[in-house]
Amino acid sequence: MTTTDHPAPADERDLTCTVNGAPVQLRVPVRRLLSDVLRDDLDLTALQVGCEDGVCGACTVLLDGEAVRACTMLAVQADGHDVVTLEGLRDDPFASEVKRAFSQAHALQCGFCTSGMITTLLACHNAGCDSPDEALHELSGNLCRCTGYLNIRRAVRGLWQEGEDPR
Amino acid sequence: MSLLDSTHTEQTSARVPGGIGEPVARREDLRLVEGQSAYLGDLRFPGLAEAVFVRSPHAHARITAISADRARALPGVLAVVTGAELAEWVSPWRIAPDIAGLHPMSAPPLATGTVRFHGDPVAIVVARDRYLAEDAAELVEVTYEPLPAALDLSESLAGTAPLVDETLPSNVLCDQSHVNGNPAEVLATAAHVLRISFSQQRQAHAPLEPRGCVAVWDRAGRRLTVHTGTQVPAPYRTAIAGRLGVPEHQVRVVCPDVGGSFGQKLVAYREDAAVAALARRLGHPVRWREDRRENLVSALHAREDEVDLEVAFTAEGVVRAVRARLRSDFGAYAYFPGNYMLQVIGMMIPGPYRFQDFEYDLKVLLSNKCPAGPYRAPMAMCTWVTEGMMDAVARAVGKDPVEVRRLNLLEESELPYQSAAGQVYTDITPTRTFERGIEAFGYERERAEQARERAEGRLVGIGVASVIEPTTYGSAFYKLAGIPGSGHEAALVRIAPTGVVSVSTGLMGTGQGYETMLAQVVADGLGVPPETVDVLLGDTDVPPYGMGSRGSRGATAGGGVALLAARDLRDKILRIAAHRLDTEPAELSVADGRIVRAGEPAGLTVRDIAAIAYLDPVSLPPGVEPGLEVLRAFDPPPMTFSNSVHLCRAEVLPDTGTVRISRYVVAEDAGQLINPMLAEGQLHGALALGIAGTLQEHVVYSPAGLNLTDSFRDYPFLALDEMVERLELVHCGTPNQRIPGGMKGMSEGGVMGGIAALTLAVQDALGVPVDRLPLTGERICLLLDRTNNPDR
Repeated sequence: MTTTDHPAPADERDLTCTVNGAPVQLRVPVRRLLSDVLRDDLDLTALQVGCEDGVCGACTVLLDGEAVRACTMLAVQADGHDVVTLEGLRDDPFASEVKRAFSQAHALQCGFCTSGMITTLLACHNAGCDSPDEALHELSGNLCRCTGYLNIRRAVRGLWQEGEDPR
Repeated sequence: MSLLDSTHTEQTSARVPGGIGEPVARREDLRLVEGQSAYLGDLRFPGLAEAVFVRSPHAHARITAISADRARALPGVLAVVTGAELAEWVSPWRIAPDIAGLHPMSAPPLATGTVRFHGDPVAIVVARDRYLAEDAAELVEVTYEPLPAALDLSESLAGTAPLVDETLPSNVLCDQSHVNGNPAEVLATAAHVLRISFSQQRQAHAPLEPRGCVAVWDRAGRRLTVHTGTQVPAPYRTAIAGRLGVPEHQVRVVCPDVGGSFGQKLVAYREDAAVAALARRLGHPVRWREDRRENLVSALHAREDEVDLEVAFTAEGVVRAVRARLRSDFGAYAYFPGNYMLQVIGMMIPGPYRFQDFEYDLKVLLSNKCPAGPYRAPMAMCTWVTEGMMDAVARAVGKDPVEVRRLNLLEESELPYQSAAGQVYTDITPTRTFERGIEAFGYERERAEQARERAEGRLVGIGVASVIEPTTYGSAFYKLAGIPGSGHEAALVRIAPTGVVSVSTGLMGTGQGYETMLAQVVADGLGVPPETVDVLLGDTDVPPYGMGSRGSRGATAGGGVALLAARDLRDKILRIAAHRLDTEPAELSVADGRIVRAGEPAGLTVRDIAAIAYLDPVSLPPGVEPGLEVLRAFDPPPMTFSNSVHLCRAEVLPDTGTVRISRYVVAEDAGQLINPMLAEGQLHGALALGIAGTLQEHVVYSPAGLNLTDSFRDYPFLALDEMVERLELVHCGTPNQRIPGGMKGMSEGGVMGGIAALTLAVQDALGVPVDRLPLTGERICLLLDRTNNPDR
């Protein structure tokens, strides 16, 4: 291993990717987190940073359709990939259903975790998840301090079991 | 999920669609689900600089030298300021209320001379970019001479621990007592006396959004604007202006959306004052966004309390006297008067029970740990203590726990009742709600089922906990407790010339849904559609001076005063309308924004009245002033109470010590609910904190005083799959006669009942006394060992 293989933290690299369907080309320090690039460089502030440790899930975004934690990824790792944030899901029919279900079930209070919850559920839906239990299992990696999760469960059960009383 | 108890639910006289009592969806959700919220980190400021704090790596140490030269030399660094330098610009945080038994205390803006806990801020670094600021913070060289740390309550009580604050005679910050009747004599002569201990672990508020602020100094206007998510905008402004020595009119506090608080965003922190001072000094907007590690190590902690109790009782199980000894670990500095939290535990130990001979003494102790502060239901432990006592008495007299509670429980016919701690209970339903809960749970059937399961060798237990939840805390409470401050709230309700309605109060929401709730209240009071009511909170330039959000006072103090103002404004509208229509105001009402006479539209709208009030004042009735604005203030009673009973069935899995909650029922009397959906959401959230506080959450310090739980990997936050599967809720709302609208407040009882009912269910399952929380798998395995080997 030589030091030339490993750039210094403040060294910059080119980042070429798509974000919410649009091409993005940026020069970023290699140590800069994806969450910071999305929030502070691209003004995509729907994702939130709650733990900077990959635990809470508030920063969840879609990378090539899969849910990832933007706070534990370097921005340069997104090079060549497709990134989607909540802002990119304005016209997504399932995302709209999730938003409506969350509001109707009172599944959010402070709302800080909500963006990550929606993107996680969207990834789950896109992956063909067909049971509420599986969706809830996936969502168990997204933390919420306010709601006690009961109404989140109600919203998710409603989404995956249309027509049934989620209670 | 909720069974509305129609016999006990107050109906407002004339239901306003979307008004009080309606489970309408929240207006806040529109922006929050779209990601269009504006939390602190989402705000944009030209020329923004970022602040980072250098913090102590020791629990207790003397600072012998600080060198910031290398940090200052880093390109992009705007300033590095140490505690000694900052002390020239910012005055200390001083807590010195005139309270007998409480020592005054000061905290320097940043540590100077000594650091008192792991995480104590030592210096502030400001740079053009957060990454640079972090780099620079690492280059600040601080030389420490470590000192022995005070970490053990018993050593501090014995006077053998190192002194935390060298200006005080000991680590006992506060020493108070209360006595009612003659408990000493009853305890000395009673045939039956038990001694019971309760110990609760240190916990962290851990809102998902950590603390932070952006301070902007406008040189031209000589005005400081602090953007921060505080629960109490007006008191925060007073505090920050005082700390900086800036006249209060030169300070504005603006609250963005707030990502949770639970009591943590209740003061202007030392860090906030430092950031504001630097913004003023540098002429740059400065932002501090705390990271999770800082939040868990240095924001506020809570709940590290112990209670030792003696109880005298009759052979039948009637409690005759109680003596309680309360101890609390308060940490290294006082952000609040030392008695603030522990006193309420003492005050609420009598709970819903009849005994009168009672005394408590409390000692609040300093330690070399993070400072303590109120965390949603700071008094939560009282319910475990009282209900644990009832279970112990039941065991001692060989009776069922519910039977013993019935012997001691207050009846509604005994109200108003002055408790052994001097609290006057009115408008509560301790027996009625208890019996509704017992019935909904099917208590006898559950006990029979439990006996069958236990015969199969399963460790199943049932916990019952009655909660008296103190809320709202009026000015008389603060005065009696010796704590400076007020319990009032103020509201300004306005109708503009075009008929647009707005309400503003001193409340600031951190997730509760106040914008929705206040619109419902004002719509109800005025007789207009709620969607036409703007709610303006969290900008000190707008609302009147109110005391903000704390102690479950949003609906009672905030909703109550908004209702008073709205009703007054409706009365003015009706006077103007009556003059116009040549009738009496009593003949008219307002519905859906229209003036109504004898159930029929009278041909005038609120908008028409607004046009007269502002644009045609000569047409107003004699003595009526132009405009449609009402400002009201409301000081609630010393204390407001709601009550509930929690019933929990839990099973312990012996191999892992895992606790599985198999049934959870709450019957609650929280008075008139403004929005039942939001109230249920508050109960869910409170219950989750109660469960997590019982089973897992624990701030752990090493023997050297270092915080070992400084990330969400180590601080076990409750996850979705760890929450009880289902909550069965029975509303038993009897209106509160002393709050406009009949509300009672209810956001903390779920924590109180949750800790108590779950702990007692686990204790019942294990068959040994549980005297210490949290009930982690490891701890339960130790207790099981004790169950199986009683001689060990």
